[in-house]
Order: sequence, then C-alpha cells, then structure tokens
Amino acid sequence: MALIRGRDRGTGAAIFTASMADIVFLLIVFFVLTYKVEVDKTQMSLPETWIRKKVPEKAAVISISPPNMGSTIRVSTGEEMALPVATIEEVITFASTEVAKNPNREFILKADKNSPYGRVDEVLDALKQSKVKYIFLLSEQLTAAEL
Amino acid sequence: MNIKKKDIASEIFTGSMADISFLLIIYFMITSAFSATRGLDFALPEETDTPEIKQEDSIEVHVMPGGAIEVDKKEIPIDGLLPYVLEKLQQNPDKPVILRTDPDATYGDMIGVFDRLRRANDEWTDDFGNPMYKDVNGDPLTEIKTISIPTQREIENIWNLLGMG
Repeated sequence: MALIRGRDRGTGAAIFTASMADIVFLLIVFFVLTYKVEVDKTQMSLPETWIRKKVPEKAAVISISPPNMGSTIRVSTGEEMALPVATIEEVITFASTEVAKNPNREFILKADKNSPYGRVDEVLDALKQSKVKYIFLLSEQLTAAEL
Repeated sequence: MNIKKKDIASEIFTGSMADISFLLIIYFMITSAFSATRGLDFALPEETDTPEIKQEDSIEVHVMPGGAIEVDKKEIPIDGLLPYVLEKLQQNPDKPVILRTDPDATYGDMIGVFDRLRRANDEWTDDFGNPMYKDVNGDPLTEIKTISIPTQREIENIWNLLGMG
C-alpha cells in the first residue's frame, strides 16, 4: 500500500514567475528612458559609415525618400511628424525660419543611399543658403566585414 | 448589545497589472527609434571664415557615377585615397580636400568617400591615439583639417567668376 501512496506524490513542474513583474517593470523603465518618437517613418536604406556620431535630440529633420518613392522631400522641426514639401524653395523657407529662431540649429539629413546625389545636392544647397551651420548625415553602422 | 464588526477587504486588484505592463512594453518597442540616431557630422563654413581656395592649393576628390573616384584628375582606387592625401598633407598640412560628386552618382557613393576621408584620424594614429605621421614642419599629422563639399550651384558660380561658365 505504501508503494501506491508513493505513486501519488507528483513532482512539481511549475515555472517560477514571481520575478516576471520586476523584469517587465525594468523593461518599461528602459523604454521610457530611451523613448524617442521617429518623426519621419519613411522606409529607406541609409548609407553605411564607419564614423557615426550621435545626432542631437530634437534636431530638425529633412528626409529624401528613395527614388522608387519619388524622391519626395519631407521636413520636420524634430517635434512634429515630417510633412512633404513640393519645391526646394519651401526647404529654404523652412530652414531659414528654424535658423532665425536658433542660429545654431542642427539639421539631420536622412536620405536613401540609392538617391541620386543631384537631389541631395539641392537640399544641401538649400541648407547652405539658409545659413545652416551643423548638418548630420544619418547613417547605419558599417561593419568590419564590409570594410 | 453585541455588534459584530464586519471586516471590509481593502486591497488593490493587481491581477491585470502584468497585462498592462506588456501592452506598454509593446507600445514603446513599436514607437521608439534606435537605429536612426547616429550619423556623420558636417559643419558648414560661415561666410566670414570662408577663405578663397585656389584649385592648385587643394586636393580635389571627384566621385563619379558607380562610386569610382578621381583625385587631382587621376583615377585611383578608394583604398589609395588616404595614402595619397597623407602624402600631400605631409608637404602642406593646411591643404583642404574638396569633395565634389557627380549629380548622377548616388548619395551612398558620396557618403562612402566622405566617411573614408573622416577615418583619417583613426588610420593616422595608433591604438593609444598617438600620431604615426608628421608633416614637413615636424608637427603631428592626425587628421584632415578641412573637407569642403561644394554644391553644384557653388561650383557653377566659381566657373562663372572665372569666365568659364
């Protein structure tokens, strides 16, 4: 009989979940601290570079969509979602307004690596005409294997 | 009279906390951006400190369609760019590098060459940051002081000024 009673003793196979809440809260804290809304969600392949410096938060953003998406230029103050502009003069107006508010205003240029340089040149020229001082050319990390 | 006190349960219901936490995590993961926060910095010259650069006083790098480069009118492989620039800067460390890109080349081609030029500091110093090369005056040579990226309009203006437009 003792043998039968011994069979009833089941081995506990439970997953320990008491620390799950702590892990979840740590993850939430991490995401809250690193949270930054992407003001321009245009999908593109950024060029790869070895040198990469951190871009300033809240810098104004100018993006050029890939050629298969019409190479559309979008502008954002860094706090609102990017809006498309029709002409390069609108980029000059936008950049000049931002520079008038803050002469040291930083600009981020986000362009697809397959964009024709002529299009990028137009935007760079517009920024130069607007007396912009600092530009960050957004890139992905170049890995050692790609060197 | 004997009145019995009723115990009122005073606890906060935390059963749904895990669900809310997971929803918050998913929200932050989807809306936050990580990759697009770094890039090549590039300072534009102010009008007051723009020196007049003569072509013979500079190193001209021309990025052509397809990513090939011409340096001072000679086609060289991209790996030969920094050694060439180093040789020239050893003679004159103040020589600016002018990076000119063909409008039909891609932005990726131009960035690749610009990144290569910016890597001079990494390649011309050892693991401890000590300079490996010296210029003609015996001063350490650790970087390219000026990299200029003229726009097509600026190049055309120069040609017009020279009466070649």
